Amino acid sequence: MNQQIRAITELDRVIHEPGRLMIAALLFVVERSDFLYLQHETGMNKGTLSSHISRLEEAGYVEVTKTYRGKVPQTLLRLTPEGRKAFERYRRMLKDAL
Amino acid sequence: MNDLDLEKLLKRPRDYQNIDGVGELSMGAFALLYSLLLWLQLHAPATSIWHQMYAFIIYWTAMSLTIHYGSRAIKRHITYPRTGFVEYRSQFKTARGWAVMAISVCTAALVSAGLALAFRRHFAVSVPFSLFGLLLAVGYIWHARSMYWKWVVFLAMIAGTLAVVLLPANILDSLAGHSHFGSAVTSEALGAFWLTWLIIGALFLVSGGTSLWLYLRHTQAPVPGV
Repeated sequence: MNQQIRAITELDRVIHEPGRLMIAALLFVVERSDFLYLQHETGMNKGTLSSHISRLEEAGYVEVTKTYRGKVPQTLLRLTPEGRKAFERYRRMLKDAL
Repeated sequence: MNDLDLEKLLKRPRDYQNIDGVGELSMGAFALLYSLLLWLQLHAPATSIWHQMYAFIIYWTAMSLTIHYGSRAIKRHITYPRTGFVEYRSQFKTARGWAVMAISVCTAALVSAGLALAFRRHFAVSVPFSLFGLLLAVGYIWHARSMYWKWVVFLAMIAGTLAVVLLPANILDSLAGHSHFGSAVTSEALGAFWLTWLIIGALFLVSGGTSLWLYLRHTQAPVPGV
């Protein structure tokens, strides 16, 4: 098999899904953000966004913290160091593959 | 999603920083408040407090705090409840941040050295003093180039700066209250410097105000209690 094509098969499946890729890319450039920001930027509904975040959290790529802003509940999200490395690796492999 | 889309997506959080026009409002407030201070220093009598270092420090501190807390208040009460909260990475954590900082320091050092040389050799620095508005205009459009209406503001900045340069010397001289710093910085240069800050500051405020208005129009206010 061509090495370039093989690189595509080796892409991280957790990040490769478009919804999760959007979340990982947005979190990659910031320190942390809240759920509302990701919802606004990705255009996903709450349920879909939650399920993608859960999948990233299970993989250890995203850290979720529940807190309050005044009296309003707030969900803060941050890419873990593993998540950051995984995204960088994914980005490099995607560039090589394309 | 291809590589190009991914790179575009990575730039979105940076654009989000000024989604509400706070960056322009801050810059506009800074330019106008600075031009007010400059006006007071140029026109107040020599014995006035505006020529004292402590008054300058107090004014500068109050101005910085007002802009800092004003921006934070807009973010906290308008932006975060509508489109979400973002905490940006420290500039020290990214190579780009270090590069920007290094370039800024080098530019500041070069400009300072140039001015020091001009003062020592008694060169007239009127032209660079008058044309710094072009630099601010270029900086503005560099960040706002993706929004077409902001090109109108950019052109207004360029036109304003050039109009200041073309103003008769006696008008600029009276705007500066006939003040000058040695032979290098003439009263015309000071008048042009002051007027440029005023025009650029007003245009930044207009741009920021329009951005904020558009942001409020296109985003939904949060439902209380949710």
